[in-house]
Amino acid sequence: MSANFRKIDIDQYDEDTLLETELYDLDPRDPATVLADSKQKQSAVRSALAKGDIGSALVTVLDGAPYGPNVEEAKALTLQTLLLILNSTKSTDVPALLRALPAEAHDTLMKYLYKGMAMPGTGEVSGSVLLSWHEKLTEVAGTGCIVRVMTDRRTV
Amino acid sequence: MVRPYLDCNSHALRPYLAAVRSTLTAALTLENFASQVVERHNKPEVEAQSSREVLLNPLVISRNENERVLIEPSVNSVRLSIKIKQADEIERALCAKFMRFMMVRAENFIVLRRKPVPGYDISFLITNSHTETMLKHKIVDFIIQFMEDVDREISEMKLSLNARARVVAETYLTVFG
Amino acid sequence: MILLESHNTIIQTVLAEKFSKPSSLDEHFVDYDGVRFRLSTPERKTLLRLSMNIRCWDQLAQYGAQQILEREYGTYLLPEAEPEYSVTLEFDTEKVPAEGAARDALIKSAALLKRIALGAPFELAFKNALALESGGSPPNATELMQIHYRDEEAIFVQAASDRVTVVFSTVFREEADRIFGKVFLQEFVDARRQPSIQTAPQVLFTAKEPPLEIRSAAGLKNSDDIGYVTFVIFPRHYNKPDVQNSTISHIQLFRSYLHYHIKCSKAYMRSRMRHRVAEFQKVLNRAKTEVATTERKTASGRTLVTR
Repeated sequence: MSANFRKIDIDQYDEDTLLETELYDLDPRDPATVLADSKQKQSAVRSALAKGDIGSALVTVLDGAPYGPNVEEAKALTLQTLLLILNSTKSTDVPALLRALPAEAHDTLMKYLYKGMAMPGTGEVSGSVLLSWHEKLTEVAGTGCIVRVMTDRRTV
Repeated sequence: MVRPYLDCNSHALRPYLAAVRSTLTAALTLENFASQVVERHNKPEVEAQSSREVLLNPLVISRNENERVLIEPSVNSVRLSIKIKQADEIERALCAKFMRFMMVRAENFIVLRRKPVPGYDISFLITNSHTETMLKHKIVDFIIQFMEDVDREISEMKLSLNARARVVAETYLTVFG
Repeated sequence: MILLESHNTIIQTVLAEKFSKPSSLDEHFVDYDGVRFRLSTPERKTLLRLSMNIRCWDQLAQYGAQQILEREYGTYLLPEAEPEYSVTLEFDTEKVPAEGAARDALIKSAALLKRIALGAPFELAFKNALALESGGSPPNATELMQIHYRDEEAIFVQAASDRVTVVFSTVFREEADRIFGKVFLQEFVDARRQPSIQTAPQVLFTAKEPPLEIRSAAGLKNSDDIGYVTFVIFPRHYNKPDVQNSTISHIQLFRSYLHYHIKCSKAYMRSRMRHRVAEFQKVLNRAKTEVATTERKTASGRTLVTR
């Protein structure tokens, strides 16, 4: 036994230590599939937007969003796609669109709103757009939606 | 640069504060939770950061690059950090003085943290003991009012400084005749 | 009170009192810029001695201060100052003018001792400028006069045929001072846009970099906290004796005036912040519930303290 026994990280050998991955179910798809999925979604959304069908664009991008480790590029892509939708929606249409979404989609959308606000730099994100969507979403989905974002380990 | 109440971003102020209010309300579901690491200790988990399972996802609410609020929830405590809008050198100096003035008196403020979280100007720490002795919605009211008042105060201090400077300069130079 | 006064109030009040009712005393007191005074009755209670210690006396003497003091105080000025002091005046209370305008004038003049001494380089500069303007060329007329009147700060005076330039170098010890100072000085620079002040001296301000006029001076420190303020004084401010007098009195006090107002602003900000903090406390106290605010007492009547 070397003299550095004090420097060994004892916790990694402890069976009872909680690992990050034990806190939630990992995404069953592998990273490559996830990335391909996101790219496909982006083009689907673009065409939906071109037709003016924002509702289905939202559903497409929010369904099966990437989460967990190793899928950073897919996450960034999905966020970009979503921002595209947010920026092209008229604020008066927003409440109706939100009400049409399923509850799961509300939670995912809320996650993306916070992710968008956390991003540094202005770039394509407009603070006021995100905030107004946040306000309307909270009205429709309630504070519980925010609580679920805080507790859900599947971060986007 | 004067900050009129109706500047180009003021239409975003209301939703900004509304977002902070709803997020903070969501985060304030706190309960007593003894430390899992040290026997008979009871620490605010957001400060101790002892294990991943008692910490919840931190959230950011931002209006623009220079104004943001970070909310870090956990099972028994919430940390709220604010980055205040400071447009120029004078506002930076006034803001720094003001924040320092308050942080020195943190004990009187109960929920104020003595040092801000790095990257932010001022931080609050709310624990389960606070929510047990104080009304939650009033704590949220306090934070929101704080955010509004600080912005206004810095604006007014800057205006009064400029006004003073003008009078001081004019009085001195008029004597030369 | 926005403007500072040139005369020393202590000298004024004490002399007024002692001229009428002499008694022994030994007072030490100070004035702006580290100037020390001593008012004492070393030999007998009717002989009052007023001494001043001003750190830049040697430079002032170089620019003619001794002659100016002799002119102003005549026989009241002692040829040799008290030890550790630069200048001493002596008043015999039995021989000073009787109560009335003459005595008041004397007291006023004594209270202006610092102003008169410090005014020497300015008087010289104005004399030279007027001479240059009318075509003469007195020796060293355009030399750059330096008065190191404070520890790290100095005044530079230079005469020319159409103006006199006065440069103050000043140190801002705190970051906040520097920023407040900048705001104030910017207003000084901009004030001339006002129609009523168009004829005032022109003010220029640079932080850190000394202005061209004084670059040749020795001992200039290079540091972020130093600022340079330049006053360009025009002939209309010194071509008549009473105007010139007023200009000299006024320009001398600039540095003290500036820093006084910076400190006033800081105190004002502090009182605002204190008020705002009290308001916040009130809002926070509204959040406390009945349970928290009621006092709890033990059976024997002692109160439990909650932190």
